[in-house]
Amino acid sequence: MRTQRLIRNTLSHALLAAIVLTGTDAFAAKISRLTPPSELFASANANGPVISRFLQGQRFDLQATVQPDVGQTIVGFYFSVDGRTTNPPNIDSNYKITYPLAGHLGRVDESASDASCIDTTSGKTTGKSGCKLTAGLPGNAVVVSQRAYAAYEPGVHVLKIVATQSNGSQVSAEGNFEIVAPASGQTKAKNIIVFLGDGMGATHRTAARIMAKGYAQGKAKAPLTMDTFPYTSMVMTSSLNSIVTDSAPGMQNYVTGNKAENNQEGVFPDDTLDPFDNPRVEYLSEYLHNLQGKSLGVVTTADVFDATPASMAIHTSARGNGTGIVDQFLDDRAQTGLTVLMGGGRKWFLPNPSNSVSPQPVNGSQRRNANDYVLSDDVVNGWGVARGKLDPERDLIADFQNAGFAYAPNNAGLSDAFKHGTPDKLLGLFAYSNMNVSYDKIAARRGDSTVVDAFGFPDQPLLEEMTDKALQVLSKNPNGFVAMIEGASIDKQAHLMDTDRWVLEVIEFDRAIAVAKAFAEKNPDTLIIVTADHECSGAAILGAATASAADLSAKPNAGTTVVGTYEAAKFPKYKIAADGFPQTTLIDNKMLIGYGANADRYETWLPNLFPTKDSQQPFPPTQSPSDPSSRNKDIGYFVSGQVPGDQAVHTATDIPLSAYGAGATQFHGVIDNTEVFFKLASAALAQ
Amino acid sequence: MNGVSGSIAAAIALAVVFFTSAPVHAAPDAAAAAPRTPKLLAVRKDLGSPPAGVTDLKFRDIFKTPVGDKGLEPSATLLALDGKRVRMIGYMVRQPSASKGAFLLSPLPVEISDEDEPLADDLPPSVVAVEVGGAANKPIPLLPGLIQITGVLHVGAKTDAASSRVSSVQIALDAHLGKALLGGAAPTRPASRTVHVDVH
Repeated sequence: MRTQRLIRNTLSHALLAAIVLTGTDAFAAKISRLTPPSELFASANANGPVISRFLQGQRFDLQATVQPDVGQTIVGFYFSVDGRTTNPPNIDSNYKITYPLAGHLGRVDESASDASCIDTTSGKTTGKSGCKLTAGLPGNAVVVSQRAYAAYEPGVHVLKIVATQSNGSQVSAEGNFEIVAPASGQTKAKNIIVFLGDGMGATHRTAARIMAKGYAQGKAKAPLTMDTFPYTSMVMTSSLNSIVTDSAPGMQNYVTGNKAENNQEGVFPDDTLDPFDNPRVEYLSEYLHNLQGKSLGVVTTADVFDATPASMAIHTSARGNGTGIVDQFLDDRAQTGLTVLMGGGRKWFLPNPSNSVSPQPVNGSQRRNANDYVLSDDVVNGWGVARGKLDPERDLIADFQNAGFAYAPNNAGLSDAFKHGTPDKLLGLFAYSNMNVSYDKIAARRGDSTVVDAFGFPDQPLLEEMTDKALQVLSKNPNGFVAMIEGASIDKQAHLMDTDRWVLEVIEFDRAIAVAKAFAEKNPDTLIIVTADHECSGAAILGAATASAADLSAKPNAGTTVVGTYEAAKFPKYKIAADGFPQTTLIDNKMLIGYGANADRYETWLPNLFPTKDSQQPFPPTQSPSDPSSRNKDIGYFVSGQVPGDQAVHTATDIPLSAYGAGATQFHGVIDNTEVFFKLASAALAQ
Repeated sequence: MNGVSGSIAAAIALAVVFFTSAPVHAAPDAAAAAPRTPKLLAVRKDLGSPPAGVTDLKFRDIFKTPVGDKGLEPSATLLALDGKRVRMIGYMVRQPSASKGAFLLSPLPVEISDEDEPLADDLPPSVVAVEVGGAANKPIPLLPGLIQITGVLHVGAKTDAASSRVSSVQIALDAHLGKALLGGAAPTRPASRTVHVDVH
């Protein structure tokens, strides 16, 4: 088999050479990608913005894609920064030369791949499954790396790659990056808490305030807790490859200080097919765990593999790699300090023993080889991380428990975990995939558990309860912690344009913020920021209904005829129950929301009794509508979409950030999302 | 009385459209190109009782509720039907290329995305693999809308060699339905959007 492959490859390469010799195609040697990204490399503009910026000592990978001349191969390479090699030799007392960082170097090419990886006609890579490189590169292209580089001298530095071809000629290119010193004079923050309201724009915050607090004579009767934070920024949220980000770069940009492409977490883009070998950049959690011994807590109402929680600790270019993502959470806890992980997503933690005899357990495991990870030597050596393993049979809950994590499968279990004192580490998996939203969790606590029962998880905690427990565990570390607490379904329900559900999600989120604020009041060396990764749906508060609840219900296709704008909107008056949530969202003259980034939908202005379907749940309720374009069809008022698909989309609108506590004074003005990283680090590193 | 949703239930009862009238999810172009559903697999308004020796199995009856601390568990109903003939109603899962030898039956209209993004699996775990005998190398046509099938139930995880996808429950499709599916029987029009059938 191996011989046949060698013959095929040889023939393939011979054919490639023949193509070139006849002059039908020609490649010129070049560097087609240099990482970290820079405008200097991309456009040769030395005066453009410096794209990649790192803290002193923050690790990141150097990488280049080299396209040699036809018939040539790359036989050597080196990177240099400001003219000095990044892989310096060591000369011992016997004048023996060694290269201590040799194990950090890696190269990926198709030289050992199946012949199908290079198209015999074009001579270019095919990008087929099982190959190494993406499609469209010359067949002799190579991706070369040096892992876990770090620099300490503040300022802009010139990065150069030099690759040597088999004929001895060289090809090179230059880019740049900046090393940033922490801002001086900051108040030191031992603990950092990032509240991430996924998709939460200014409208979402305002709507929650109107519903939860009420207005009178033009003034809010009370602020949301996040409104009480004294420092505010507006944040620009774009990703590396789009003005409109998704949640992966939307979060990771905050905690790496660098831009990622959409769908990518803790990495820069590359030209290889392996989603776990991309050039890495060190997370805030890793940086502060290694430097100061801080713990990491990740709390979400989504599946824990989702883009936002994963973008605190996981390095992958494909946010959907559930098995590898949850494995990395545990495997690399020595790098990140992971101490608390809570949310949904139990399906990724259940063993799927592919080689056991039938019948296997029918446990709903979604673990698969196809989305697991195994790292190359250079990544393992450079970063000191676990290699990983294709192991769908892994019982990850048991492995977490064996690593000292208390496991809570539901809210009662969460309380039980604290019966004999605060555990040292905590794992909470409260749903199969995403957790139910507060609209339905609160309904269950008030006696109607129809929806949560239908989902199969009748006893799920609220985010405020998860936050309280997380802070108890994390605050056991005298060195402090970094925590990310996410209100995930603000975004998910905004995508679905389910107004009543996302407004309650913001209220739930704000109640969790209140828990953290109380913690910060007792622990003043704590910095809290409340922000979002992006806005979702182009939500806008139109005004309020001019009709009663009964009239809205009787005429669900009333459409624009009941929309009260300007003074006709008056001040909607919701009654808040003792649990902190509105008694009902269907009141007379209720607040009305429109969407500027909407897909086709039918609007009734009424609450939807059942959440719109989530196909990742084990028991999608029979009554759930499949999507907004069919929800209330033939009953509601048709609103024509402005975007394709059947959901609203993220927008590029700036989002508000509020800050409280130690180091909060840094947050003002209009800032890029990557700038948040340096402000958080400056607070943590202050003397 | 539940304050948030319970108190509004009566008020909006008239406004609620239950999903049992679920629309076909397939994109219009795909639906237009899709073959007509063979009569034997089509879902009409009145399903009637299952054939003799066949028991109806609902998707909601596949697993126990609530979900266990260590994951899903097969229900007593499911285990009792292991090895027996059952009837199920559901949607064929749309796949990037025509499947061979088997297709997936889902309680809601979903599709598996193409090879670049197959990783965040959008399929409900109650998806059933339907094995079509004698179709190892024949592409199975995607049928739009609800379909009904009968066959022998098998409980236990099984990995599909081609896709590495693991199914918890399989049904060996009755031979005459397999023949109809692959083109041996008279077709009928796709299921109406107003068909009311409890697929769950």
